[in-house]
Amino acid sequence: MGKVVTIHSSRGGTGKSLISVNTAAVLANKGKNVCLLDLDFRAPTMYVVFKLSTEYWLNNFLNRDCEIENVLYDLTQRYNTKGKFFVGLADPSMLAIREMSMKDRKWEMKALQRLLSLRKLFEERKIDYIIFDTSPGIQYASVNAVVSSDTVVVVTTMDALDIQGTRSMIEDLYEAFGKKTGILLNKVLLPYSLPSLSPLTEADRESLSKQLKETFGIPIFGMIPCYCDVLRTSRTVILAFQNPEHPFAKDVEKFAEVLEEA
Amino acid sequence: MFTIHCLVTETLSRKDVSKTLLKVSRDLEALTSKVDLILASQKRVVPARAIGEKITKNQIPCEALDVMTLLSLPDHLRKTAVAICALRSATAADVAGETGRARAVESNYLNQLVTMKYIQRERKGKKVYFYVSK
Repeated sequence: MGKVVTIHSSRGGTGKSLISVNTAAVLANKGKNVCLLDLDFRAPTMYVVFKLSTEYWLNNFLNRDCEIENVLYDLTQRYNTKGKFFVGLADPSMLAIREMSMKDRKWEMKALQRLLSLRKLFEERKIDYIIFDTSPGIQYASVNAVVSSDTVVVVTTMDALDIQGTRSMIEDLYEAFGKKTGILLNKVLLPYSLPSLSPLTEADRESLSKQLKETFGIPIFGMIPCYCDVLRTSRTVILAFQNPEHPFAKDVEKFAEVLEEA
Repeated sequence: MFTIHCLVTETLSRKDVSKTLLKVSRDLEALTSKVDLILASQKRVVPARAIGEKITKNQIPCEALDVMTLLSLPDHLRKTAVAICALRSATAADVAGETGRARAVESNYLNQLVTMKYIQRERKGKKVYFYVSK
């Protein structure tokens, strides 16, 4: 049976989209059938990453204007992945963003049912992983994604506001829906003495992991240092495909392994 | 008021009187807030409609069971509500299969959700189906 994973965060700029794309890439490279869906309707990014333009978007699917088959792009051949690699995009036009932010509660209720229905559909098609990339905070689309998923990955940085927001979301959102939740600490600042591409030592990871477990009270799925060159890299570069030996790609690989076992 | 005053002066000291009045005042406040709550819930359960207007079974207005509403539900009802959202239309036994709780427990929770107007109920032969409003 496939696993539905939501990548979420309390605030923006934590690196959700970058991690979603690279995690999906790593899993597809390992031979898993993966479907990556951009549910960040307020600030869509996937259309830039995959350089795609389409007639039907996930917005249309949630609006019941089309079926999921019309939305999904099969990128297996483009990236030569071992498993199937599908993506579904959010409409980046200003009109669509405005429309999505004006939907009423009844529409959101139907959107939740639509997302929940995906699970059965993907089970029939032998999809191993559905990954939802979401908007930060408590937005309708993001909470719908959380409710529809098996596992929630909360991406957080070491910023105090981020940590505070993550803590309250664990209590008020993820635990309320009884979701399996884990933390992915991103952009971990290394000591100044180390060059920016240095990996975190095992001792550093263990000590940080212990502190985080005490702070959040939930498992730590991974830690990714702040790599300056990743921040400078174009959004269209998927390191897990184009530079799998990069320490960032290796860290995502480790995270994907933990996710598989979670 | 005069009678109360007489009784009070006969049996209680001035200190006791102020204590008793304070307690009465607090109790009245608590009572008022409870009445407000009851009135608020009545407003929600019985929707306003024109005098003489009849509502057929299929027209019963339903509250939207969106995620924010789900968050506001108590934990035990939330689990049932999420299950019925996923199943769309199901019997108490189907929901029990999803939540891992007893059928009788789910039947009770589903009926509570029906009373709260979040879901609807329909009998088909011997089975009772619950569903989120269409």
